[in-house]
Amino acid sequence: MTRRRCFRFTVRLLPLCIVLASSLSAAGLGDDDFDKAEKELASKQYDTALGYFESSLNADPDSLRNSSEYRMATLQRALALQPVVRGQPHEGKPVDFDREIAFFGKLTDAHPKSANAFLAYGFSYVDKIPAAGTIGQVILANTALGFFTKSIELKPTWIALYTRGNSYLYWPRIFGHGPDAVADLERAYAIQKTETRKSVHVRVFIALGDAYWKTDVPDKARAIWREGLKQFPDSQPLKDRMAKDGDALNDYLDTVLDPNKRVDTDLRELWRTE
Amino acid sequence: MKKLLLGATLCGLAGGAALLADLASGARWFQDVTVQAGVNHPHTNRSFDNPYAKIMAGYTALGASATVADYDGDGYDDVFVTDSKLGGKNHLYHNNHNFTFTDVAEAAGVAGGNDDEDATASSLWFDYNNDGRPDLFVVRFGHNALYENLGGGKFKDVTKKAGLYRYSNAIKAIAFDYDHDGQLDLFVGSYFQPINIFKPDSPRFFPESFETANNGGGITVFHNNGNGTFTDVTKKAGFNLSGWTLDMGHGDADNDGFDDLYIACDFGTDRFFHNNGNGTFTDITEKAIGFDTKKGMNVDWGDFDNDGLLDIYVTNITDDYMREGNFLWHNNGDLTFTDVSRETGTAETGWGWGAKFFDYDNDGWLDLYVVNGWVSAGKDSYVPDIFAMVTKPGIDFADARNWPPMGNKSLSGYEKKKLFHNEHGQTFRNDAARHGLDSTRDGRGIAIADFDNDGRLDIFVANANSEPYLYRNTMPAGPHWVQFALVGTKSNKAAVGAQVRLTAGGMTRLQFISGGNSFAGQSSNRVHFGLGDASKIDRMEVRWPTGKREVFTGIQADKLNRIVEGTGKKNK
Repeated sequence: MTRRRCFRFTVRLLPLCIVLASSLSAAGLGDDDFDKAEKELASKQYDTALGYFESSLNADPDSLRNSSEYRMATLQRALALQPVVRGQPHEGKPVDFDREIAFFGKLTDAHPKSANAFLAYGFSYVDKIPAAGTIGQVILANTALGFFTKSIELKPTWIALYTRGNSYLYWPRIFGHGPDAVADLERAYAIQKTETRKSVHVRVFIALGDAYWKTDVPDKARAIWREGLKQFPDSQPLKDRMAKDGDALNDYLDTVLDPNKRVDTDLRELWRTE
Repeated sequence: MKKLLLGATLCGLAGGAALLADLASGARWFQDVTVQAGVNHPHTNRSFDNPYAKIMAGYTALGASATVADYDGDGYDDVFVTDSKLGGKNHLYHNNHNFTFTDVAEAAGVAGGNDDEDATASSLWFDYNNDGRPDLFVVRFGHNALYENLGGGKFKDVTKKAGLYRYSNAIKAIAFDYDHDGQLDLFVGSYFQPINIFKPDSPRFFPESFETANNGGGITVFHNNGNGTFTDVTKKAGFNLSGWTLDMGHGDADNDGFDDLYIACDFGTDRFFHNNGNGTFTDITEKAIGFDTKKGMNVDWGDFDNDGLLDIYVTNITDDYMREGNFLWHNNGDLTFTDVSRETGTAETGWGWGAKFFDYDNDGWLDLYVVNGWVSAGKDSYVPDIFAMVTKPGIDFADARNWPPMGNKSLSGYEKKKLFHNEHGQTFRNDAARHGLDSTRDGRGIAIADFDNDGRLDIFVANANSEPYLYRNTMPAGPHWVQFALVGTKSNKAAVGAQVRLTAGGMTRLQFISGGNSFAGQSSNRVHFGLGDASKIDRMEVRWPTGKREVFTGIQADKLNRIVEGTGKKNK
C-alpha cells in the first residue's frame, strides 16, 4: 500500500468506523514494514512477509488492518505449504498457526491495553480451528472467547461484540451460549444503528437472527432478518434464511455454523466503503 | 462338513413377486429371537476397586463382544459371547441347528476369564495350529488366553506354552498370514499401555491428549512359528506404535497378494501400514489416508461399489458436541483412499462402534450395519463436565484424577443403530427402523452369520451392560445367493485372506475371508455373495492366501459350496 493509498484509506475510514478509532491515533506507524510485507507476500516470500507484518504490528499493535493482513498471510502460507490431496481436508496443519499465536501472545503482553491486539489474538485461535480436531476446536474456541472478552472489557467495539456474539453461535446448544450470543449481538446492533450504513452491518442482521432462532425466538429471528433484507436486499444469506423454516432451517444453520468449516476472519470489509 | 453340505438349504426358487410385494409394503425382514434362541445372557461392565474406580467406570464400558465360528465342524456356525464383570462367565453358544443355542462354555472349558487380574474385552477364533479346528483367543485387559480346540467340544488353555502369556490391556485381536508361510499370525491391539489397571501404581495412565495421544497400548505382532508357539516380531515387522488402539482390520488394498493393515485409534491418529511382502510393513498413513485426530473405533474392509478394490469403513464420534464424522475410505487403487462418507450418507452414526459390511438382502451390494452409543444412563449429560475439564488451562489429561467421574450421567447414550442399505454403490439409505434394527442399547460388536444355513445373513449384536440381540433374517425368498467354505491346503486351512471374485449377471463382485475384522465382533468365515436375479454363476476365481489363483467351474447358486485349494484350474 502506497502512502497515498494509505491516506485515502484513513480518510475514508474516519467517519465510518468507530472500531478503528484506536487505530487512527497511530495511523502511519509501521506502514513501511506493512508495505514491505505486502511486497514479499506478493512474491510468495511468506516467512519474510510475516516478519515485516510483525514489525508493523509492534509499531502499531492496535491496527486491525495490519493484524488482519498478517493473519491472512499466515493462512495463505499454511495452505500453500500443504499439498492438495483428494479426499483430505486442506486447512493447513495446526503448527502452521502457532507462529501468529505466539506473536500475539507477546504483543498483548507488551500492550495490555490494546483492545484490538486482544481481538486479533482471539482471531488467531479461530484461524487455527479448522486445522484442529474436534476437541482441539473446543479448546481453541474457548481460548479465543477469553481474548474476545478481554478486548470487550478494554473497549466494547462493534467488531468485538459482533465477533464474540457470532462465535457463540458455533457452540453446541448444550453449552448454553445462545443467550450470550443474543446479548452481544444486540449490543452490536445498537451500535450500528448509530452509524452510517456499512456493508459489513449485514453480518449482525444475519447473526442476530441466527441467535434468536437458536434461542427459540423465531419471530424475532424473522423480524431482524426481514429488517436486514430491507437494508441489504441483495444479501443471499438473508434470503436463504427467510426462504426456510423448521427442520430445513435448522439443517441449514447447522451447515452454515459448522465449526469444521473455516470462519472468514478477514476484516478487509471493515474499511470497504459502498 | 458333510452335514454342512447336505444341510445347505436351497432358497430362492420362489419367484420375485413375493419379494417385490414385501418391498413395496416396507415389511420387516429381521426378527429379534434373542430370548427364544437362548442367547440372552447380559453383559456387565467391569467395576474397578482402586482409587480411580469412579473415573474409570466412565471409560471402560467395554468388553461386550460376539465372535462366530463353527468350532465343532457340524456345519452350523456357533458364537462366543463375552462378559466382563468380576466372576462373570463367557458364553459359548452351540448352534442346535434350529435357531436355538445351548451355552456349553463351562463344559468346553472356556467360560472363565473374569477375575481379579483380568477382564474380558473381546475374542477371536483362529486356527493357530492349522489342524482345521478353530481355536479360541480370549482378549483381555490383563492376560490374554489361548484355548486350543481339542475336538469333541473340549478346549485346553495353551497360553503359556504358546508364548502368549504377558500383561497387556488388549482390546482387539485379528489373525492373518502376513508373510505367506501358511500359518496364521496374531495381531493384538491394546488400549491402555501395559500397566496393571486393576491396581495402577500411578494416576497417569489416561490419554495424554484427545487428538494425538501416544501413551496407549499400541499393537503387538506375534509371528506364528508353526509349532504351536509365537514370537513377538512387532519391531521387526515394522511396528512401533503407542496409540490407543481400538480396532485393526486387514485387507489387500493394492491387490498385490499381501494383506495390508488399518489401525483405528481412540484419541488420535489412525494408521495405515502397507505389507511389503517380505515380512515387514511400512507406515504410509500420510499418503494413504492423511493424519486424523478422531476417535477411530472400527475397521471393516469391503468392496462396497463392486469396483474390484476393497474399501474401508471406520466409525468415529459424531454428535451435537463432537462432529467428527465416520470414514468411508474409497480405495483409489494406488494405496490412497478418499473419504466418501458424507457423499454416501454414512458419515453420521453417533458414537460409533462395530460396523460390518454384509449383503442382507442378497442384491449383490454390500450393506452396512453400525452399532453405537457410549453410556446410556441418567437424563443428565456428561458433556459439560468433560468440556469443563478439557478447557482448563494447562491440564494434564494423562492424570486420571483430572477427569470428572461420569456417575449416572449419559454420554452419547440411547442412540439408534443404523442399517445402511447400499444403493448400487452410490449412496446408502438407513433402513434400520423398518427392519427393527434401530435399538438404543449401547452396542459394541457385530457378528454376521447364516446361523440356519438358509442363505440369508443373520445378525448377532453384543451390547455393553445389557443383553445382546440375535436378529434372524426372514426376508422372503427371491434373490439368489451362493456361499463358499474355503479350505486351504498350502495356505492356512481356514483360508483367511483368500479373495473370491465371482461373476454373475454381468457383474463381478469381490469378497474375502477376514481374520476377525471389525470391533468386538467376528463374522462367519464363509464367503457369502448375494446374486440378485442372477441364478447362474459365470465365473468364480479364488486367490488363495499364498497368492495363487484358481478358477472353479460348475458352481451352483443358492447353496454352500466347499472349495479346496488345489482342486481348481490354475489361473495366472
